[in-house]
Amino acid sequence: MFKPESADSLPIPASAATPSLIDGPELPVDVEVALESLNQWQLAVKRFMRHRMALIGLAMFCFIVLVAIIGPIVAPYNPIDIPGAIHQGGDGPSFTHPMGTDDAGRDVYTMVVNGAHISLAVGFFATVIAGIIGIIVGSISGAAGGVVDNLLMRLVDVTFAVPLLFLILVAAVFFGQGSMVALILIFGILQWGLIARLVRAQFLSLREADFVEAARAVGVGTMRITFRHILPNALGPVIVVMTLLMASNIVLEAFVSFLNFGIAATEPTWGNALSNAQNAMGDGNWWWAFFPGMAIALTVISINFVGDGLHDALDPRARL
Amino acid sequence: MTKYIIRRLLQAIPVIFLISIVCFVLMLMAPGGPQAQFNQNRFIKPEQVDLWLQHWCLVRNPSPPDMIKEYAGWLGVWNCQTQSFISENGGLNFLPSFLGGGVNGMLHGDWGISIYLNQPVLDIILGRLPVTLLLMVTAWIIWLTLALILGVVAAIRRYSFFDQAATLFSYTFYSLPTFWLGLMLIEIFAVTLHWFPSQLIQSPRISPGPFASAVWWQAFWTDPGLYGWDVAMHLVLPVTTLVAVSVAGDSRFVRSAMLESLNQDYVRTARAKGLSERRVIFRHAFRNALLPIITNGALEVAFLFSGAIVTETIFSLQGMGYLYIQGLQAHDYFLLMGIVFIGAILVVVFNLVADVLYAVADPRIRYD
Repeated sequence: MFKPESADSLPIPASAATPSLIDGPELPVDVEVALESLNQWQLAVKRFMRHRMALIGLAMFCFIVLVAIIGPIVAPYNPIDIPGAIHQGGDGPSFTHPMGTDDAGRDVYTMVVNGAHISLAVGFFATVIAGIIGIIVGSISGAAGGVVDNLLMRLVDVTFAVPLLFLILVAAVFFGQGSMVALILIFGILQWGLIARLVRAQFLSLREADFVEAARAVGVGTMRITFRHILPNALGPVIVVMTLLMASNIVLEAFVSFLNFGIAATEPTWGNALSNAQNAMGDGNWWWAFFPGMAIALTVISINFVGDGLHDALDPRARL
Repeated sequence: MTKYIIRRLLQAIPVIFLISIVCFVLMLMAPGGPQAQFNQNRFIKPEQVDLWLQHWCLVRNPSPPDMIKEYAGWLGVWNCQTQSFISENGGLNFLPSFLGGGVNGMLHGDWGISIYLNQPVLDIILGRLPVTLLLMVTAWIIWLTLALILGVVAAIRRYSFFDQAATLFSYTFYSLPTFWLGLMLIEIFAVTLHWFPSQLIQSPRISPGPFASAVWWQAFWTDPGLYGWDVAMHLVLPVTTLVAVSVAGDSRFVRSAMLESLNQDYVRTARAKGLSERRVIFRHAFRNALLPIITNGALEVAFLFSGAIVTETIFSLQGMGYLYIQGLQAHDYFLLMGIVFIGAILVVVFNLVADVLYAVADPRIRYD
């Protein structure tokens, strides 16, 4: 259970970041130019471009980001305007309101479009914070070893034993107070454990890799080995996990807001829309909850597809 | 084996100890302190709050040494009536009371009183635990079974129509937010079709008392069909919600574990020996694919609790997750600490169970 080596049995193979020089494209006539021009990252991009679902996911995600940026500007209605609904509990989808209205007559489409940037921002920045802390802690743990490693990993064990949602909810209630920045910080600070474990596992396996051995033999310093040789190679699986984390953070933000512990109820977010819609479910006006939920689902699906593509692209054992 | 289990139990003690610190720090960081609930009530005098704080070994605006004392008092090591490690009975405070120990603190089963429900925290949690466990265990068994079947079949028939369909299904459901799926299921199967109830664990009309209380069991044994069926009907939608989302992720995991196992040399050897395909798949490939699946299944117990919060809130099931949300809204800190602590202990226990299962499944591991 709490043995440190359990980190090595993560779904992503530990050897995933070991670079392989054999997997190149067919060598053109000018061998030297080819060797220089296609490095590991360029190969990854090529592999990614061949993954059909990942490209579809990327296109969907770009579209959602675009909607998040220009959507609110071109949205037909004001999200906080309350014109009043014609029917009790909101009007169904129609030509004037393609996604219907809520009980106060606010346009659900405007709500969905206005909520996009908040969800994306929380998902992205929370993941970046978790990633930065996780990479720093994991690198220290993996590079230092010994007592420091042991202490840090026990800390991670504890964060894994306490169900995360319990901690996030309690922190959101205590320190969140409806602010987006606070929510981002809470998500980021509580979720670095997984990434730290992964980075540490990568460090442990890469430390024994031949190219690190070679660098050491040539006389490269510890700092340079850590930052120039091990860290860039450890990043592949970390990026994949961070993509998936971003998807789960978007759902998490919606859920926390849904419980009214998240972003202030006056903001038009997806979670808040669902929270208000919940009370209206009994009246049969499904559109109010359906469309914000679909927005979350589509965003998450697109990010997961991209993550899947990255997983294949960043695995150097994969053939081009 | 016994030796190994005992050793693992001993190793779990420091983790549980650290978890208890986390729980306590949570309460200390709460805005307004543990007495926050009283600050909202103008009928409660400051002196009464002081008495309450004193009773629970707490201090207003504690300094760091005070915090350590508070923690030790909450744990049951420190006795704040005698202000020492010695209890009223004369022995060391952390010992059981019949050996001269004290009666305060978690070690002695005193987890504090819920201000909001005005009952001992441990009683409330134990009363609500059956609902959560019933929901979780039912969902867990169903989804692991489904994930195993789907994953293994998809791996054996790789790239077949079934595999592609399963992939599409799992990507879709994996991305659906649990709570939204629950809302939609209520909308379709409860509001529109009236097939299943959408709220509570049993119908209030026939309910003899809280689920799994003594009264309820008495009624249950007089007519198991009626009460059992009632609870089962109420479980359909919450369990479906949990299963749909979790099967998606797990069947992918089973599939890749099984594919990896099918590519191993020993599978080729088994085939070369002329064993039947069924025997190759189930005795050679599947048994080895089980190992990562067991580890993954155990790690999911923590996720189960999060899932319980979500489903219990949506379906108003009076379990631990629902209780937690109520406690959060009421700023009921003893209750919150108790739930987090119980949840964490259950996770630790399930992890231990997984380790033992691992030993059963993998004959190469010897624990002595």
